[in-house]
Amino acid sequence: MSQLIQTVATGLSMGSVYAVVALAIVLIYRSTGVMNFAQGEMAMFSTFIGWSMIVYFSAWSLPLDMNYWLPFLLAVVVAALLGAGVERVVLRPVEEAPVLNSVIVTLGLFTLFNAVAIWRYGGIAKPFPSPTFFQGSALSVGPVVISRLNIGVFSMSVLIMLLLYLFLNYTKLGLAMRAAAENRMACRMVGIPAGRMLTLGWAFSAAVGAMAGMLVAPIVFLSPNMMFATLIFAFAAAVLGGLQSLPGAIVGGLLLGIIQNMAGTYIGSEIDITSAFFVIVLVLLVRPTGLLGRRVVRRV
Amino acid sequence: MARALPRPGVLGLILLLVLVAVFPYLYTWPFFDAFLDPFRTFQVTRFGLWLIILLGLNLLTGYSGQISLGHAALVAVGAYVAAVLMSQGFMGHDVPIAVAVLAAGLFTGALGFALGAPALRLSGPYLAIATLAMIIALPQILKLETVSFAGQQLHVNIARWTGGVQGLLLDRPKPPESLKDLVTERQWLYYEVMVPAVIMTAMAWNLTRSRIGRAFVALRDTEVGAEHMGVNLALYKMTAFALSGLYAGVGGGLFAYNEAFISPDSFEIIKSITMVVAIVLGGLASITGTVFGALFMAFQNEIVDALSGLIRRIPSLSALEGYIPTTASDFEKLRGAAYSIPLIIFIIFAPGGVAGLIRQVGNSAPTWWQQWRLRVTGWASVVRLTRRRVEPGADAAVEERQDPEEETRH
Repeated sequence: MSQLIQTVATGLSMGSVYAVVALAIVLIYRSTGVMNFAQGEMAMFSTFIGWSMIVYFSAWSLPLDMNYWLPFLLAVVVAALLGAGVERVVLRPVEEAPVLNSVIVTLGLFTLFNAVAIWRYGGIAKPFPSPTFFQGSALSVGPVVISRLNIGVFSMSVLIMLLLYLFLNYTKLGLAMRAAAENRMACRMVGIPAGRMLTLGWAFSAAVGAMAGMLVAPIVFLSPNMMFATLIFAFAAAVLGGLQSLPGAIVGGLLLGIIQNMAGTYIGSEIDITSAFFVIVLVLLVRPTGLLGRRVVRRV
Repeated sequence: MARALPRPGVLGLILLLVLVAVFPYLYTWPFFDAFLDPFRTFQVTRFGLWLIILLGLNLLTGYSGQISLGHAALVAVGAYVAAVLMSQGFMGHDVPIAVAVLAAGLFTGALGFALGAPALRLSGPYLAIATLAMIIALPQILKLETVSFAGQQLHVNIARWTGGVQGLLLDRPKPPESLKDLVTERQWLYYEVMVPAVIMTAMAWNLTRSRIGRAFVALRDTEVGAEHMGVNLALYKMTAFALSGLYAGVGGGLFAYNEAFISPDSFEIIKSITMVVAIVLGGLASITGTVFGALFMAFQNEIVDALSGLIRRIPSLSALEGYIPTTASDFEKLRGAAYSIPLIIFIIFAPGGVAGLIRQVGNSAPTWWQQWRLRVTGWASVVRLTRRRVEPGADAAVEERQDPEEETRH
């Protein structure tokens, strides 16, 4: 029993990271129908920017861990600008073309960010600092032992999801963004600049991705290829939840983390990824539009 | 009515076939030896391999509209079937290469047909992820020895066949004894790949212009509409998967024969994704486009080398050293960018790929060239009947075009 709880707890921690990246993917997919393959690499690049700023800030002694949190916030802002820029410069021109073309452009961006990161920062994995709160000995709750890092990652992810939820449901800007994703034409008629909302969506998505990147970096170490596995799992999580739905991305991410961990513990680590994807395909066969996805009726 | 001369299109095709047939011997001829060498033969062999594999993918994604990110998994299955047959034989008998490759194609085709069944319920990104699952799970499955489930050890010894992590090492391909003096190893390999490649290209060409090909295009453009026109959706979708499996299996079998070594790492996720990039670059739903896609796959490294060489020529600003790439090692690290920046620009400005670009240039060519082309291809009379009169000053785009190639475009 305690092994089960232990497995679920560890799975939840990794799953929460998948959930955050899946959220970033869904944010873009909902408004443009594009699966952004560059999501992980943009997050990785922003994490490197955050890392170089943390190195720069560590010279000063600031209270309250501010030499971690200030660069963290700055990197998120830089990531948002990067995301907005990418949308405006390279994705706007292919908006009218078939969706597969936009997907190819994001694949190009994937390689581009990867190459630039290897050039600027090198391919060797580096340790990434975590705030002092996340460090130290593991906590034990009853029979279960959980590392502080896992708890920190999980609580940060929950915080990000909560903020995003509040923003999208209770602010005017958030509602406008959702409206633009839903129906662009109607949106323009009531005076919401749909194009600008699209750019903003990319900015938010990139910012959320950057936060996820800085959360996983202490676990997987900082390197140009660190986000690839996470990205694949986040895609799977987003699809599992039903690409259109933000709560679906969270449910999908957490479920995937738990399934992967349980398969690793009970079936064998040599087959954990296979079993996780087996479950996804099974779920998709029963519900072709994911767990929380809506069925779209198409016209001829 | 008998024709005195074959039409230019047919003539060009015959010339191309002759070129393909004699290519491995060209480097021994005067004039050609200046720019050809045996290594080129090897490269063109690689091109033939990619052509077979990409044709299958384009039939599935370009013509039928089913996005597959797991095509490399089918290629891997074909490669392993052929490799196991060639290295371990079948029931104590040696299996010749042609039989092994054919068996690989049929096996993978059947597998593709079976995989098509779950794909009936999925579409777009959902299908993409389900197919991605194949290529992600594949290395783990190929290395499988035992599985413990609920505390019990189950023996599922797949690694016994596939060689597990070490992979399978085959004999180097050799020409048969009777032809030993005529062809070298490389030339033999070239024909082993190019003959199936030519046959399968012709097959795809005919297929896309047949009932099956039209049904594929119809179900891609509108599933409901196609169903109303009497297209059996389930059957044709599964046929599309089976055909792409057949091509992937033959391509994979030849790949194993060509490389003489395969391991789970020969088939990576990124390669599977690059295949989709290649068919979009070449042009979806176009055989000509697939040829360009295969050229891209085969000469990728050479293209990147040439492009990064070009960038290096741009005079760099020494004041910005450290901020912009200036040294040779910088460019070595930026190889990925040398490939992705042109890729992005190309996709933005040529959304139809190379095939679309060619079509565009053909359409905007001067009238004399158009008329000549229509006359020599025998379409002039059809055009005269259907073309609407365009008033001077009216939008030229209104003009109806009759182009046999255009029918496959949506």
